[in-house]
Amino acid sequence: MIAGAWRHRLTARVLPYLLIAPTLVLVLMFNVLPAVNTVNDSLYKPARGLNAAGKPPQFVRLQNFADILDDSHYMGQRFLRSFRNTLIFALATVLVAVPLGLLLALLLNRPQQLLGVWRFAVFYPALLPLIGAASIWSFIFSDSIGLANAVLRSLGQPGLNWLGDRNLVLLSVIIVNIWKQAGYFMIFFLAGLQNIARELYEAAALDGAGGFQQFLWLTLPLLRRTLLFVSVISFTFAFQTVEQLQALGEGGPADSANLLLYLIFQNIAERRNWGYVNAMTLVLIAVVLTFTLGNFLLFERSENDR
Amino acid sequence: MTRKSGVAQAVATVLTATIGLVFLLPLVFTILVSIRPENEPVTQGSIFFGSEITLSLYQHALNIAPWGLHYFNSIIFVGGTLLVQLFTVTCAAYAFARLRFWGRNLLLVVILLQLMIPSGVLLVQNFRMINLLGLFDTRLALMLPYWGSAFGMLLLRQAFREVPIELEEAARIDGANLLQVIRHVYVVNAIPAYVAFALVSLSSHWNEFLWPFIITRSEEIRPLTVGLNKLIKTTDQGAFYGQLMAGTIIVITPLVILFLLFQRQFVESFARSGIR
Repeated sequence: MIAGAWRHRLTARVLPYLLIAPTLVLVLMFNVLPAVNTVNDSLYKPARGLNAAGKPPQFVRLQNFADILDDSHYMGQRFLRSFRNTLIFALATVLVAVPLGLLLALLLNRPQQLLGVWRFAVFYPALLPLIGAASIWSFIFSDSIGLANAVLRSLGQPGLNWLGDRNLVLLSVIIVNIWKQAGYFMIFFLAGLQNIARELYEAAALDGAGGFQQFLWLTLPLLRRTLLFVSVISFTFAFQTVEQLQALGEGGPADSANLLLYLIFQNIAERRNWGYVNAMTLVLIAVVLTFTLGNFLLFERSENDR
Repeated sequence: MTRKSGVAQAVATVLTATIGLVFLLPLVFTILVSIRPENEPVTQGSIFFGSEITLSLYQHALNIAPWGLHYFNSIIFVGGTLLVQLFTVTCAAYAFARLRFWGRNLLLVVILLQLMIPSGVLLVQNFRMINLLGLFDTRLALMLPYWGSAFGMLLLRQAFREVPIELEEAARIDGANLLQVIRHVYVVNAIPAYVAFALVSLSSHWNEFLWPFIITRSEEIRPLTVGLNKLIKTTDQGAFYGQLMAGTIIVITPLVILFLLFQRQFVESFARSGIR
């Protein structure tokens, strides 16, 4: 009897840890430990040369970081270009796809004909695999038979080399991303709009506020939180969505449209530059961590305020 | 006043239709090209359907990659990932929603680190980890990093907390053990959260490319996206876009159908996925 009660208490003590163990172990193995190892491995250079096999990596302190930040180093050129492109890519997404998502939500939040068709039309890109979406667009952008150039030529303009011209590839990649993400961002705004009480609009209309004034003084302030949230996630997502490059010029001529994570992927796939890959990954982690942590604290705190 | 709002209404309608059509264009174009005869310019025959409607491009696409096999692999990948996730996530969510134990908040924060350092950016170290475990080029390697899900755990913890504690107490008095309590009290009352999590998990893994590409080498276990990549690379070498469009349709059709069937659930579950 006493033994039974003791066993019961022991089980109750251990049980919570057993329940969370699988998740905890997996997170430690595939998120926490890898992040720590990234820091460590970014300080080493793999042995090179004919007799390199079996030799231990060499501790080089911050040399890998010095190299990837060095404009005259071949890896530095690649990294700096890709990092700059990633920033442009992320800012363009925030500045165009997010407002477009808001516009779509405003348009589709009203009763109208064919509502289901239009909702499908703007949301299906979000469902497609990035690489599938990109393969569609690789055809649209293709030089001789693509839709983009067909439109340009019908307007009397010369066709453009969308995926081959180093001044143009990044723009093409950005266009695809806007098309892909706007519908996804829209659903956050739709959810936000549906939380605004109808009575507020009726009161505003009684006070003589027109549609645009209602948007400016009522909708926009009430959607402020959603707007901030969507902007932050769209910025961090931009650092993680790179698979489209596989079908859209693979980073463009001389990395003119390469993105950071894709550069890392290329180097892993080619089994190269272990130390550099880790140094670049650490930069990527730092950016993503800063923004997701900021987002989390910002919104967790305001959740608690309510 | 009415006339002004009538104009506004008309502008909104035209704007919606214009954006909607522009967004639809790539899909429509893809479908049309995929049913044209091979290598036929758009200027030939009917502008929409070419000189005839044919499935020959699908035949070509089928010859380049074993799509049946890739379909099977994708289904095993996303299904196997989801099944184990449902188990791990349910256990952890129950513990964090209802049990008190030493170190609870700290352990919760550790698990939430997954949201801040997503697996996607840890390609290089996860590649190394899988190699250390001797799992390179196995189905297990594809799924293992995703078997723990902080996103799913958060979603379900929230749902479990909304279940009245009295229901659990009543079940306990009736002699239910832990497993029965979780199943009959919590799981059945959190179905919408499970649906949301399942749709997000299924669609994100179905669409994944970088990880499967890096961690596998054998065609026998590679998913659809990697098969599509092969077609893209063949197109690069001068083959024609028609078969690539056919291959793309082959890859995206299941998700589009799933979406048409569960449109509302999809939109709702994606709306919750922002914390991913």
